[in-house]
Amino acid sequence: MAELATLGDRLAAHGISRRAFVKYASYLGSLMALTPSASRSMAAELAKAKRQSVIWLSFQECTGCTESITRSYGPTLEDLIFDFISLDYHHTLMSVSGEAIEHARHAAMEANKGKYIVAVDGAIPLKDGGIYSTTAGESNLETLKATCKDAFAIISIGTCAAYGGIPKAKPNPTGAVSVGDIIKDKPIINIPGCPPIPEAMTGTIAYLLAFGKIPELDHLGRPKAFFGDNIHDRCYRRPFYERGQFAKAFDDEGARAGWCLYEVGCKGPITYNACATTKWNNGVSFPIQSGHGCLGCSEPDFWDKGGFYVPLSGSIGPTAKLVGGAALAGAVAGVAAAAVARHRKSSLNKG
Amino acid sequence: MNSPVCHPPDAAGLARAVFAEIAEALARLAETGEETLIDLRSLPFAPTDLETLAELLGEGEVRCDLDVAGRSEVRETGFSGVWWTRHFGADDQVAVDEICVAHVPEILAAHPDDVARAARRMADAVTAPASTADEKDLSRG
Repeated sequence: MAELATLGDRLAAHGISRRAFVKYASYLGSLMALTPSASRSMAAELAKAKRQSVIWLSFQECTGCTESITRSYGPTLEDLIFDFISLDYHHTLMSVSGEAIEHARHAAMEANKGKYIVAVDGAIPLKDGGIYSTTAGESNLETLKATCKDAFAIISIGTCAAYGGIPKAKPNPTGAVSVGDIIKDKPIINIPGCPPIPEAMTGTIAYLLAFGKIPELDHLGRPKAFFGDNIHDRCYRRPFYERGQFAKAFDDEGARAGWCLYEVGCKGPITYNACATTKWNNGVSFPIQSGHGCLGCSEPDFWDKGGFYVPLSGSIGPTAKLVGGAALAGAVAGVAAAAVARHRKSSLNKG
Repeated sequence: MNSPVCHPPDAAGLARAVFAEIAEALARLAETGEETLIDLRSLPFAPTDLETLAELLGEGEVRCDLDVAGRSEVRETGFSGVWWTRHFGADDQVAVDEICVAHVPEILAAHPDDVARAARRMADAVTAPASTADEKDLSRG
């Protein structure tokens, strides 16, 4: 249940000073490319904010998104988000409590009417009245509509909730759809990825909490702070792409030399996410750095884009001979795209 | 790390370019008191570039270790007014790496709200009976 004390008071009661907010705001400011003054104001606003009620609904999902957001090893900077939110309902984490958590959910919705955030992971099946995914005897569709009615905002966490994801992949036997296909009267923030990068989830929640408004979104409803850059434009292997040095197969000489993975199916050029910069596991690595092409998992219908190991040019054209030409054209387009991306980044900094 | 090394040290001249930017910021601080923050993680540094920048900046007289929501370090560089701040997250991974051009980085100063809280707590401790004075008081601020 959201409390009356401010976050500043809460942390102080645990022996943590305002410095924690300064540190956290500069961490988020760095991730989201906020201006220094926006970071400073975020520190002040977070300290004054009340704990945010969050109701987390899990539908047709694999729990990967919950796993991603809960990676923590001790009292750390990244854990602060769990002091800032009051996770009033989480089906998977609280399922042992049975009926009691359903009561808790309704009580939280009532106490925080108009102010709670609904986080959804998983797609919602519509076929046959929505019976293919139910919780506590209620279809996901009914639960979604009832819970979102008095919410302040909805966050679709992961590609399943944002765009339908794997349940929606051909042939879509359960009639799975995204949250945005059902809820039309509330602001929805999409944080796609399979799973999303944890900082993309927690950073967006902290932004909402500190500034009380939705961050700037792109045409697919994704926060530009995390999804404004194309993987290809920020990839450290880009110089190999430009020079036409490609791995032709996994574990060949080019692969071992760390060359571009375009020809083994990398979808970096059509994918927007923070993997190449923020990376995973606190900046350790990301798929391309580990030797595997980008799957494009933060884009709609990525499961049905021709194949993870089919190069982008090969997804529409049949022969390997086309690849060289496409790579050359891509290099030219890439320079232009990089210029656009740099401009976008600098205008974010002005915000 | 298994990633291939694409650049020799400061091949792109990025460290020197940032050094020049810091010099301009320090001149502004000297003339008008205006502070500047440069987020090193937002720039495409290769690891060797950061070493070059560290060499150019050198070390100063002040080294601070912070223990708030994990570890942090604030170091004065060889140039007064130029500070290098590093915040660590889980597993001691670098979460924030920034150059702060200021008389004192904001995070070092005691916040007014913390001072007010501490003043109240200290006033209570002054008037408390002697037997409780030895108890470890966990709540700060």
